[in-house]
Amino acid sequence: MDRETIARVAKVARLNLTEEEMERYAKDLDDILNSFSVLDEAPAGDTYSFNPIPVVDVLREDEPGQDLDPQVLRDQMGTYEGFVRGPRLS
Amino acid sequence: MSAIYDLIRYAQLKHRAFTEIVEDLDDTKFHFSAKDNLCADGFQARAGSAVLDGYRPPFDATPIRKMKDSGGQLVGKTTMDEFGFGTFSTNSAHGVPLNPFDLERSCGGSSGGAGAAACLIPGHIALGVSTGGSISGPASFCGVVGLTPTYGRVSRYGLIDYGNSLDKVGLLSRSSSLVAKHFRTISGPDPKDPTSCAQPVLADRGKMPRSLAVPKEALQNLDPAVRSSFQDALSRFKELGTEVHEVSMPSLRFALPAYYILATSEASTNLARYCGMRFGRREEELNQHFNDFFTGVRSESFGDEAKRRILLGTFCRMVGFRSRYYLKSLAVRQLLIEEYQKVFRDHDAVVTPTMPFIAPRFEEIGRMKTLEMYGADVLTVPPNLTGMPHISVPCAYVKGLPVGMQLVADHWKELDLLEAASAWEKAFIYRFPEVSP
Repeated sequence: MDRETIARVAKVARLNLTEEEMERYAKDLDDILNSFSVLDEAPAGDTYSFNPIPVVDVLREDEPGQDLDPQVLRDQMGTYEGFVRGPRLS
Repeated sequence: MSAIYDLIRYAQLKHRAFTEIVEDLDDTKFHFSAKDNLCADGFQARAGSAVLDGYRPPFDATPIRKMKDSGGQLVGKTTMDEFGFGTFSTNSAHGVPLNPFDLERSCGGSSGGAGAAACLIPGHIALGVSTGGSISGPASFCGVVGLTPTYGRVSRYGLIDYGNSLDKVGLLSRSSSLVAKHFRTISGPDPKDPTSCAQPVLADRGKMPRSLAVPKEALQNLDPAVRSSFQDALSRFKELGTEVHEVSMPSLRFALPAYYILATSEASTNLARYCGMRFGRREEELNQHFNDFFTGVRSESFGDEAKRRILLGTFCRMVGFRSRYYLKSLAVRQLLIEEYQKVFRDHDAVVTPTMPFIAPRFEEIGRMKTLEMYGADVLTVPPNLTGMPHISVPCAYVKGLPVGMQLVADHWKELDLLEAASAWEKAFIYRFPEVSP
Protein backbone atom coordinates (compact mmCIF):
# COMPACT_ATOMS: atom_id res chain seq x y z
CA MET A 1 0.00 0.00 0.00
CA ASP A 2 1.58 3.28 -1.07
CA ARG A 3 1.98 6.32 1.14
CA GLU A 4 -0.71 8.26 -0.69
CA THR A 5 -3.33 5.54 -0.09
CA ILE A 6 -2.62 5.07 3.62
CA ALA A 7 -2.63 8.87 4.06
CA ARG A 8 -6.03 9.05 2.35
CA VAL A 9 -7.43 6.24 4.53
CA ALA A 10 -6.11 7.92 7.69
CA LYS A 11 -7.68 11.23 6.68
CA VAL A 12 -11.08 9.60 6.12
CA ALA A 13 -10.73 7.82 9.49
CA ARG A 14 -9.81 11.10 11.23
CA LEU A 15 -6.44 9.83 12.45
CA ASN A 16 -3.15 11.73 12.43
CA LEU A 17 -0.32 9.29 11.76
CA THR A 18 3.39 9.90 12.23
CA GLU A 19 5.75 8.92 9.41
CA GLU A 20 6.72 5.81 11.38
CA GLU A 21 3.05 4.84 11.90
CA MET A 22 2.26 5.51 8.25
CA GLU A 23 5.00 3.12 7.14
CA ARG A 24 4.15 0.46 9.72
CA TYR A 25 0.38 0.44 9.14
CA ALA A 26 0.84 0.47 5.34
CA LYS A 27 2.95 -2.68 5.63
CA ASP A 28 0.53 -4.31 8.11
CA LEU A 29 -2.47 -3.61 5.87
CA ASP A 30 -0.56 -4.96 2.87
CA ASP A 31 0.24 -8.19 4.71
CA ILE A 32 -3.31 -8.56 6.01
CA LEU A 33 -4.98 -7.87 2.66
CA ASN A 34 -2.58 -10.20 0.83
CA SER A 35 -3.50 -13.01 3.19
CA PHE A 36 -7.21 -12.15 2.76
CA SER A 37 -6.93 -12.59 -1.02
CA VAL A 38 -8.05 -16.19 -0.42
CA LEU A 39 -11.53 -14.66 -0.48
CA ASP A 40 -11.17 -14.27 -4.26
CA GLU A 41 -11.46 -18.09 -4.43
CA ALA A 42 -14.81 -18.12 -2.60
CA PRO A 43 -17.83 -18.62 -4.84
CA ALA A 44 -19.64 -15.39 -5.63
CA GLY A 45 -22.88 -15.82 -3.68
CA ASP A 46 -25.93 -13.95 -4.88
CA THR A 47 -27.64 -13.85 -1.49
CA TYR A 48 -26.53 -12.17 1.67
CA SER A 49 -27.96 -10.38 4.64
CA PHE A 50 -26.54 -7.74 6.92
CA ASN A 51 -27.30 -9.90 9.97
CA PRO A 52 -26.67 -13.63 10.52
CA ILE A 53 -30.32 -14.20 11.52
CA PRO A 54 -33.53 -12.82 10.01
CA VAL A 55 -34.43 -9.56 11.73
CA VAL A 56 -38.08 -8.51 11.87
CA ASP A 57 -39.51 -5.04 12.13
CA VAL A 58 -40.90 -4.46 15.60
CA LEU A 59 -43.29 -1.62 16.26
CA ARG A 60 -44.43 -0.43 19.66
CA GLU A 61 -47.32 1.78 20.64
CA ASP A 62 -46.41 5.39 19.98
CA GLU A 63 -46.72 6.57 23.55
CA PRO A 64 -44.67 9.44 24.91
CA GLY A 65 -42.19 8.40 27.58
CA GLN A 66 -38.85 9.35 29.05
CA ASP A 67 -36.24 6.81 30.10
CA LEU A 68 -33.63 9.35 31.14
CA ASP A 69 -33.80 12.93 32.29
CA PRO A 70 -32.15 14.98 29.50
CA GLN A 71 -30.38 16.97 32.19
CA VAL A 72 -28.49 13.79 33.19
CA LEU A 73 -27.21 13.53 29.62
CA ARG A 74 -26.34 17.24 29.48
CA ASP A 75 -24.35 16.83 32.70
CA GLN A 76 -22.12 14.36 30.83
CA MET A 77 -21.34 16.88 28.11
CA GLY A 78 -19.55 20.21 28.10
CA THR A 79 -22.44 22.66 28.16
CA TYR A 80 -22.69 26.43 28.41
CA GLU A 81 -26.05 28.09 29.11
CA GLY A 82 -27.89 25.03 27.85
CA PHE A 83 -25.82 24.64 24.68
CA VAL A 84 -23.29 21.89 23.99
CA ARG A 85 -19.84 23.36 23.50
CA GLY A 86 -18.03 22.26 20.36
CA PRO A 87 -15.21 23.27 18.01
CA ARG A 88 -15.36 25.86 15.25
CA LEU A 89 -17.09 24.83 12.03
CA SER A 90 -14.98 27.08 9.83
CA MET B 1 11.01 -8.80 34.45
CA SER B 2 9.95 -5.85 36.61
CA ALA B 3 7.01 -5.24 34.25
CA ILE B 4 5.54 -8.66 34.98
CA TYR B 5 5.95 -8.12 38.75
CA ASP B 6 4.14 -4.77 38.45
CA LEU B 7 1.36 -6.57 36.58
CA ILE B 8 1.17 -9.23 39.29
CA ARG B 9 1.01 -6.64 42.10
CA TYR B 10 -1.75 -4.75 40.24
CA ALA B 11 -3.70 -7.98 39.58
CA GLN B 12 -3.45 -8.95 43.27
CA LEU B 13 -4.90 -5.58 44.30
CA LYS B 14 -7.82 -6.04 41.93
CA HIS B 15 -8.36 -9.64 43.06
CA ARG B 16 -8.37 -8.55 46.72
CA ALA B 17 -10.88 -5.77 46.02
CA PHE B 18 -13.23 -8.19 44.22
CA THR B 19 -12.90 -10.78 46.98
CA GLU B 20 -13.66 -8.29 49.76
CA ILE B 21 -16.83 -7.14 48.03
CA VAL B 22 -17.95 -10.75 47.48
CA GLU B 23 -17.24 -11.68 51.14
CA ASP B 24 -19.31 -8.72 52.41
CA LEU B 25 -22.22 -9.55 50.18
CA ASP B 26 -25.73 -10.04 51.57
CA ASP B 27 -26.56 -13.79 51.57
CA THR B 28 -29.75 -13.20 49.63
CA LYS B 29 -27.81 -11.86 46.64
CA PHE B 30 -25.64 -13.56 44.07
CA HIS B 31 -22.57 -11.85 42.67
CA PHE B 32 -21.72 -11.10 39.08
CA SER B 33 -19.33 -8.93 37.12
CA ALA B 34 -19.62 -7.32 33.70
CA LYS B 35 -17.14 -6.77 30.93
CA ASP B 36 -16.24 -3.11 30.74
CA ASN B 37 -18.06 -2.55 27.43
CA LEU B 38 -21.43 -3.10 29.14
CA CYS B 39 -22.90 0.08 30.59
CA ALA B 40 -23.83 0.03 34.29
CA ASP B 41 -25.16 2.87 36.40
CA GLY B 42 -22.56 3.89 38.98
CA PHE B 43 -19.56 2.46 37.15
CA GLN B 44 -17.28 3.86 34.49
CA ALA B 45 -17.71 2.14 31.11
CA ARG B 46 -14.39 2.47 29.30
CA ALA B 47 -14.30 -0.62 27.06
CA GLY B 48 -10.55 -0.80 27.62
CA SER B 49 -10.02 2.53 25.85
CA ALA B 50 -8.45 5.78 27.03
CA VAL B 51 -10.90 7.65 24.80
CA LEU B 52 -13.68 6.65 27.25
CA ASP B 53 -11.83 7.57 30.45
CA GLY B 54 -14.32 9.18 32.81
CA TYR B 55 -17.45 8.07 30.96
CA ARG B 56 -20.14 7.12 33.49
CA PRO B 57 -23.35 5.99 31.77
CA PRO B 58 -26.49 6.90 33.70
CA PHE B 59 -28.25 3.60 32.92
CA ASP B 60 -27.86 -0.20 32.98
CA ALA B 61 -27.42 -2.31 29.86
CA THR B 62 -30.40 -4.68 29.53
CA PRO B 63 -28.45 -7.85 30.53
CA ILE B 64 -27.15 -6.07 33.64
CA ARG B 65 -30.60 -4.77 34.55
CA LYS B 66 -32.02 -8.29 34.20
CA MET B 67 -29.29 -9.76 36.43
CA LYS B 68 -29.96 -7.11 39.08
CA ASP B 69 -33.73 -7.65 38.86
CA SER B 70 -33.23 -11.36 39.57
CA GLY B 71 -31.21 -10.69 42.74
CA GLY B 72 -27.73 -10.14 41.39
CA GLN B 73 -25.23 -7.64 42.71
CA LEU B 74 -22.77 -6.19 40.25
CA VAL B 75 -19.45 -6.35 42.11
CA GLY B 76 -17.23 -4.89 39.40
CA LYS B 77 -16.31 -4.38 35.79
CA THR B 78 -13.73 -6.60 34.11
CA THR B 79 -10.86 -5.49 31.92
CA MET B 80 -10.69 -6.20 28.21
CA ASP B 81 -8.88 -5.44 24.98
CA GLU B 82 -9.71 -1.96 23.73
CA PHE B 83 -13.26 -2.19 22.27
CA GLY B 84 -12.72 -5.98 22.03
CA PHE B 85 -9.79 -5.69 19.60
CA GLY B 86 -7.59 -8.57 20.65
CA THR B 87 -7.14 -12.24 21.51
CA PHE B 88 -4.98 -11.92 24.64
CA SER B 89 -6.34 -8.89 26.59
CA THR B 90 -2.99 -7.17 26.15
CA ASN B 91 -4.47 -4.25 24.14
CA SER B 92 -6.06 -2.44 27.07
CA ALA B 93 -5.49 1.05 28.44
CA HIS B 94 -6.51 -0.18 31.90
CA GLY B 95 -4.39 -3.16 32.86
CA VAL B 96 -3.71 -6.67 31.63
CA PRO B 97 -5.43 -9.59 33.41
CA LEU B 98 -3.15 -12.47 34.43
CA ASN B 99 -4.00 -16.11 33.94
CA PRO B 100 -4.87 -17.65 37.33
CA PHE B 101 -3.15 -20.92 36.30
CA ASP B 102 0.14 -19.15 35.52
CA LEU B 103 0.53 -15.43 36.18
CA GLU B 104 3.04 -15.05 33.35
CA ARG B 105 0.48 -16.15 30.78
CA SER B 106 -2.52 -14.56 29.07
CA CYS B 107 -6.16 -15.01 30.10
CA GLY B 108 -7.16 -14.81 26.45
CA GLY B 109 -9.27 -12.03 25.06
CA SER B 110 -11.01 -9.93 24.68
CA SER B 111 -13.09 -10.86 27.77
CA GLY B 112 -9.88 -11.76 29.63
CA GLY B 113 -10.90 -10.10 32.89
CA ALA B 114 -14.19 -12.00 32.79
CA GLY B 115 -12.32 -15.29 32.30
CA ALA B 116 -10.08 -14.57 35.29
CA ALA B 117 -13.01 -13.54 37.54
CA ALA B 118 -15.01 -16.65 36.59
CA CYS B 119 -12.01 -18.87 37.36
CA LEU B 120 -10.92 -17.21 40.60
CA ILE B 121 -14.22 -16.70 42.41
CA PRO B 122 -16.36 -19.77 43.21
CA GLY B 123 -20.04 -19.23 42.44
CA HIS B 124 -19.28 -16.16 40.35
CA ILE B 125 -20.93 -15.41 37.03
CA ALA B 126 -19.11 -13.09 34.63
CA LEU B 127 -20.91 -11.38 31.77
CA GLY B 128 -18.70 -11.39 28.69
CA VAL B 129 -19.13 -10.22 25.13
CA SER B 130 -18.01 -12.04 22.00
CA THR B 131 -17.54 -10.66 18.51
CA GLY B 132 -15.08 -13.22 17.09
CA GLY B 133 -14.29 -15.50 20.03
CA SER B 134 -13.99 -13.23 23.04
CA ILE B 135 -15.91 -15.56 25.36
CA SER B 136 -14.67 -18.95 24.12
CA GLY B 137 -11.01 -17.85 24.05
CA PRO B 138 -10.81 -16.68 27.69
CA ALA B 139 -12.95 -19.65 28.80
CA SER B 140 -10.41 -21.97 27.17
CA PHE B 141 -7.29 -20.29 28.61
CA CYS B 142 -8.82 -19.80 32.09
CA GLY B 143 -10.38 -23.27 32.33
CA VAL B 144 -14.02 -22.24 32.74
CA VAL B 145 -17.31 -22.71 30.91
CA GLY B 146 -18.10 -19.94 28.42
CA LEU B 147 -21.41 -19.71 26.57
CA THR B 148 -21.81 -17.45 23.53
CA PRO B 149 -25.54 -17.40 22.67
CA THR B 150 -27.05 -17.09 19.21
CA TYR B 151 -26.72 -13.61 17.76
CA GLY B 152 -29.89 -11.80 18.86
CA ARG B 153 -30.71 -14.04 21.86
CA VAL B 154 -29.51 -11.47 24.42
CA SER B 155 -30.25 -7.77 24.05
CA ARG B 156 -27.30 -5.57 23.09
CA TYR B 157 -28.93 -2.44 24.52
CA GLY B 158 -26.26 -0.71 26.58
CA LEU B 159 -23.38 -2.57 24.95
CA ILE B 160 -20.60 -0.40 23.52
CA ASP B 161 -20.56 -1.65 19.93
CA TYR B 162 -17.64 -3.29 18.19
CA GLY B 163 -19.40 -4.98 15.24
CA ASN B 164 -23.19 -4.67 15.28
CA SER B 165 -23.84 -7.80 13.23
CA LEU B 166 -21.44 -9.88 15.32
CA ASP B 167 -21.60 -8.78 18.99
CA LYS B 168 -23.18 -11.21 21.48
CA VAL B 169 -23.47 -10.95 25.27
CA GLY B 170 -22.78 -14.26 27.04
CA LEU B 171 -21.63 -15.82 30.30
CA LEU B 172 -18.56 -17.38 31.91
CA SER B 173 -18.48 -19.40 35.12
CA ARG B 174 -16.94 -22.44 36.78
CA SER B 175 -19.98 -24.62 36.06
CA SER B 176 -22.48 -25.10 33.26
CA SER B 177 -25.38 -25.13 35.74
CA LEU B 178 -24.71 -21.51 36.75
CA VAL B 179 -24.30 -20.53 33.12
CA ALA B 180 -27.59 -22.29 32.24
CA LYS B 181 -29.44 -20.58 35.08
CA HIS B 182 -28.32 -17.07 34.19
CA PHE B 183 -28.57 -17.62 30.44
CA ARG B 184 -32.32 -17.78 31.05
CA THR B 185 -32.08 -14.57 33.10
CA ILE B 186 -30.41 -12.44 30.43
CA SER B 187 -32.04 -13.79 27.26
CA GLY B 188 -35.34 -12.72 25.70
CA PRO B 189 -36.70 -10.03 23.40
CA ASP B 190 -36.05 -6.39 24.23
CA PRO B 191 -37.83 -3.63 22.29
CA LYS B 192 -34.70 -1.52 22.73
CA ASP B 193 -32.74 -3.95 20.51
CA PRO B 194 -34.74 -5.00 17.42
CA THR B 195 -32.25 -7.79 16.61
CA SER B 196 -33.36 -9.52 19.84
CA CYS B 197 -37.02 -9.56 18.82
CA ALA B 198 -36.86 -12.34 16.20
CA GLN B 199 -35.93 -15.08 18.66
CA PRO B 200 -38.07 -18.15 19.41
CA VAL B 201 -39.13 -18.75 23.01
CA LEU B 202 -36.66 -20.81 25.05
CA ALA B 203 -37.77 -24.40 25.63
CA ASP B 204 -37.92 -25.93 29.11
CA ARG B 205 -34.77 -27.90 28.42
CA GLY B 206 -32.51 -28.92 25.55
CA LYS B 207 -31.72 -32.26 23.94
CA MET B 208 -28.44 -34.00 24.61
CA PRO B 209 -26.51 -34.05 21.30
CA ARG B 210 -26.27 -37.65 20.04
CA SER B 211 -24.05 -37.07 17.04
CA LEU B 212 -21.04 -34.73 16.93
CA ALA B 213 -19.32 -33.60 13.72
CA VAL B 214 -15.60 -32.87 13.64
CA PRO B 215 -14.58 -30.79 10.59
CA LYS B 216 -11.25 -32.12 9.36
CA GLU B 217 -10.26 -28.62 8.16
CA ALA B 218 -10.36 -27.40 11.78
CA LEU B 219 -7.73 -29.86 12.94
CA GLN B 220 -4.88 -28.34 10.93
CA ASN B 221 -2.07 -26.34 12.51
CA LEU B 222 -2.91 -27.29 16.09
CA ASP B 223 -0.37 -27.55 18.87
CA PRO B 224 0.28 -31.35 19.07
CA ALA B 225 -0.65 -31.43 22.78
CA VAL B 226 -3.97 -29.71 22.06
CA ARG B 227 -4.68 -32.11 19.19
CA SER B 228 -4.01 -35.20 21.30
CA SER B 229 -6.01 -33.83 24.27
CA PHE B 230 -8.90 -33.16 21.91
CA GLN B 231 -8.76 -36.71 20.49
CA ASP B 232 -8.86 -38.06 24.08
CA ALA B 233 -11.90 -35.87 24.79
CA LEU B 234 -13.66 -37.25 21.71
CA SER B 235 -13.02 -40.80 22.98
CA ARG B 236 -14.56 -39.83 26.30
CA PHE B 237 -17.61 -38.40 24.50
CA LYS B 238 -17.98 -41.74 22.68
CA GLU B 239 -17.96 -43.48 26.08
CA LEU B 240 -20.90 -41.24 27.03
CA GLY B 241 -22.82 -42.79 24.12
CA THR B 242 -22.31 -39.94 21.67
CA GLU B 243 -21.42 -40.66 18.05
CA VAL B 244 -18.47 -38.74 16.61
CA HIS B 245 -18.04 -38.35 12.83
CA GLU B 246 -15.45 -36.56 10.74
CA VAL B 247 -16.96 -34.14 8.19
CA SER B 248 -15.62 -31.68 5.65
CA MET B 249 -16.43 -27.96 5.80
CA PRO B 250 -14.30 -26.50 3.00
CA SER B 251 -15.63 -22.96 3.39
CA LEU B 252 -14.13 -22.66 6.88
CA ARG B 253 -10.96 -21.33 5.26
CA PHE B 254 -12.84 -18.19 4.21
CA ALA B 255 -14.15 -17.45 7.70
CA LEU B 256 -11.14 -15.61 9.15
CA PRO B 257 -10.75 -13.00 6.35
CA ALA B 258 -14.52 -12.53 6.03
CA TYR B 259 -14.80 -12.00 9.77
CA TYR B 260 -11.96 -9.49 10.00
CA ILE B 261 -13.31 -7.51 7.05
CA LEU B 262 -16.86 -7.32 8.43
CA ALA B 263 -15.75 -6.71 12.01
CA THR B 264 -13.33 -3.92 11.17
CA SER B 265 -15.72 -2.34 8.65
CA GLU B 266 -18.41 -2.15 11.31
CA ALA B 267 -15.94 -1.05 13.99
CA SER B 268 -14.55 1.76 11.87
CA THR B 269 -18.01 3.31 11.59
CA ASN B 270 -18.96 2.64 15.21
CA LEU B 271 -15.82 4.32 16.51
CA ALA B 272 -16.56 7.49 14.54
CA ARG B 273 -18.63 8.65 17.53
CA TYR B 274 -15.51 9.03 19.72
CA CYS B 275 -14.53 12.54 18.84
CA GLY B 276 -13.85 14.27 22.16
CA MET B 277 -17.33 15.67 22.70
CA ARG B 278 -20.05 13.19 23.65
CA PHE B 279 -18.38 10.41 25.62
CA GLY B 280 -15.40 10.08 27.91
CA ARG B 281 -12.35 12.14 27.17
CA ARG B 282 -13.28 15.70 26.31
CA GLU B 283 -11.03 17.93 24.27
CA GLU B 284 -11.00 21.42 25.78
CA GLU B 285 -9.23 23.28 22.96
CA LEU B 286 -12.41 24.50 21.30
CA ASN B 287 -10.71 27.17 19.24
CA GLN B 288 -9.75 24.59 16.61
CA HIS B 289 -11.32 23.65 13.31
CA PHE B 290 -13.66 20.70 13.94
CA ASN B 291 -11.56 18.37 11.78
CA ASP B 292 -8.41 19.07 13.82
CA PHE B 293 -10.41 18.84 17.06
CA PHE B 294 -11.83 15.38 16.26
CA THR B 295 -8.64 14.06 14.69
CA GLY B 296 -6.44 15.19 17.57
CA VAL B 297 -8.34 13.47 20.35
CA ARG B 298 -8.76 10.24 18.36
CA SER B 299 -5.08 10.09 17.43
CA GLU B 300 -3.96 10.61 21.03
CA SER B 301 -6.48 8.28 22.69
CA PHE B 302 -6.83 5.20 20.49
CA GLY B 303 -4.30 2.43 20.99
CA ASP B 304 -2.18 0.78 18.30
CA GLU B 305 -4.55 -2.11 17.48
CA ALA B 306 -7.61 0.15 17.47
CA LYS B 307 -5.93 2.40 14.90
CA ARG B 308 -4.93 -0.62 12.79
CA ARG B 309 -8.51 -1.95 12.75
CA ILE B 310 -10.04 1.46 12.04
CA LEU B 311 -7.67 1.86 9.06
CA LEU B 312 -8.36 -1.66 7.78
CA GLY B 313 -12.14 -1.26 8.07
CA THR B 314 -12.10 2.19 6.50
CA PHE B 315 -10.08 0.87 3.55
CA CYS B 316 -12.39 -2.13 3.02
CA ARG B 317 -15.42 0.15 2.81
CA MET B 318 -13.89 2.66 0.40
CA VAL B 319 -15.32 3.12 -3.09
CA GLY B 320 -13.55 0.74 -5.44
CA PHE B 321 -12.84 -1.89 -2.76
CA ARG B 322 -16.26 -2.41 -1.19
CA SER B 323 -17.40 -5.19 -3.55
CA ARG B 324 -14.16 -7.09 -3.30
CA TYR B 325 -14.00 -7.03 0.49
CA TYR B 326 -17.18 -6.01 2.32
CA LEU B 327 -19.87 -7.41 0.00
CA LYS B 328 -17.85 -10.56 -0.67
CA SER B 329 -17.54 -11.15 3.07
CA LEU B 330 -21.30 -10.84 3.52
CA ALA B 331 -21.77 -13.50 0.81
CA VAL B 332 -19.19 -15.74 2.52
CA ARG B 333 -21.06 -15.45 5.81
CA GLN B 334 -24.21 -16.73 4.06
CA LEU B 335 -22.21 -19.54 2.46
CA LEU B 336 -20.88 -20.60 5.85
CA ILE B 337 -24.32 -20.50 7.48
CA GLU B 338 -25.55 -22.85 4.76
CA GLU B 339 -22.53 -25.11 5.22
CA TYR B 340 -23.12 -25.35 8.98
CA GLN B 341 -26.82 -26.04 8.44
CA LYS B 342 -26.01 -28.81 5.99
CA VAL B 343 -23.90 -30.47 8.71
CA PHE B 344 -26.71 -29.97 11.24
CA ARG B 345 -29.07 -32.05 9.05
CA ASP B 346 -27.13 -35.16 10.12
CA HIS B 347 -25.42 -34.06 13.35
CA ASP B 348 -26.45 -32.16 16.48
CA ALA B 349 -23.28 -30.14 17.04
CA VAL B 350 -19.89 -29.34 15.53
CA VAL B 351 -16.97 -29.86 17.88
CA THR B 352 -13.37 -28.62 17.71
CA PRO B 353 -10.71 -27.49 20.15
CA THR B 354 -11.46 -23.89 21.21
CA MET B 355 -7.96 -22.45 20.66
CA PRO B 356 -5.11 -23.93 18.61
CA PHE B 357 -2.72 -23.70 21.59
CA ILE B 358 -2.68 -23.35 25.38
CA ALA B 359 -2.44 -19.91 27.00
CA PRO B 360 0.78 -18.30 25.73
CA ARG B 361 3.33 -16.42 27.83
CA PHE B 362 3.31 -12.62 27.56
CA GLU B 363 6.81 -12.71 26.11
CA GLU B 364 5.59 -15.05 23.33
CA ILE B 365 2.68 -12.71 22.60
CA GLY B 366 5.13 -9.81 22.38
CA ARG B 367 6.93 -11.60 19.56
CA MET B 368 3.79 -12.42 17.55
CA LYS B 369 3.11 -10.62 14.28
CA THR B 370 -0.36 -9.12 13.69
CA LEU B 371 -1.41 -11.91 11.31
CA GLU B 372 -0.34 -14.60 13.79
CA MET B 373 -2.55 -12.95 16.42
CA TYR B 374 -5.52 -12.82 14.04
CA GLY B 375 -4.86 -16.46 13.13
CA ALA B 376 -5.26 -17.51 16.78
CA ASP B 377 -9.01 -16.89 16.31
CA VAL B 378 -9.32 -19.44 13.51
CA LEU B 379 -11.50 -21.87 15.50
CA THR B 380 -13.69 -19.32 17.30
CA VAL B 381 -14.41 -17.07 14.33
CA PRO B 382 -16.67 -19.44 12.26
CA PRO B 383 -19.51 -19.73 14.81
CA ASN B 384 -19.20 -16.04 15.67
CA LEU B 385 -19.34 -14.93 12.04
CA THR B 386 -22.44 -17.06 11.43
CA GLY B 387 -24.17 -16.14 14.70
CA MET B 388 -24.29 -19.80 15.82
CA PRO B 389 -24.38 -20.46 19.58
CA HIS B 390 -21.28 -22.13 21.00
CA ILE B 391 -19.88 -23.24 24.32
CA SER B 392 -16.32 -23.82 25.48
CA VAL B 393 -15.63 -26.32 28.26
CA PRO B 394 -12.32 -27.48 29.75
CA CYS B 395 -11.41 -30.88 28.27
CA ALA B 396 -7.80 -31.49 29.40
CA TYR B 397 -4.80 -30.02 31.23
CA VAL B 398 -1.43 -29.74 29.52
CA LYS B 399 1.54 -28.69 31.66
CA GLY B 400 -1.05 -27.77 34.31
CA LEU B 401 -2.84 -25.43 31.91
CA PRO B 402 -6.40 -25.94 30.68
CA VAL B 403 -7.35 -26.92 27.13
CA GLY B 404 -10.79 -25.91 25.86
CA MET B 405 -13.23 -27.81 23.65
CA GLN B 406 -15.84 -25.87 21.67
CA LEU B 407 -19.27 -27.16 20.66
CA VAL B 408 -21.34 -25.29 18.09
CA ALA B 409 -25.09 -25.81 17.50
CA ASP B 410 -27.62 -24.44 15.06
CA HIS B 411 -29.19 -21.02 15.69
CA TRP B 412 -31.25 -20.85 18.92
CA LYS B 413 -30.12 -24.28 20.22
CA GLU B 414 -28.13 -23.07 23.22
CA LEU B 415 -29.96 -25.45 25.56
CA ASP B 416 -28.63 -28.47 23.63
CA LEU B 417 -25.10 -27.17 24.20
CA LEU B 418 -25.80 -26.74 27.90
CA GLU B 419 -27.08 -30.33 28.08
CA ALA B 420 -23.83 -31.49 26.47
CA ALA B 421 -21.75 -29.38 28.87
CA SER B 422 -23.66 -30.76 31.85
CA ALA B 423 -23.11 -34.37 30.70
CA TRP B 424 -19.44 -33.59 30.06
CA GLU B 425 -18.98 -32.26 33.61
CA LYS B 426 -20.16 -35.57 35.02
CA ALA B 427 -17.40 -37.38 33.10
CA PHE B 428 -14.57 -34.85 33.45
CA ILE B 429 -13.58 -33.06 36.67
CA TYR B 430 -12.54 -29.43 36.28
CA ARG B 431 -9.56 -28.07 38.22
CA PHE B 432 -9.12 -24.57 39.57
CA PRO B 433 -5.92 -23.01 40.86
CA GLU B 434 -5.46 -21.76 44.40
CA VAL B 435 -4.63 -18.07 44.12
CA SER B 436 -4.68 -16.07 47.33
CA PRO B 437 -5.85 -12.49 47.00
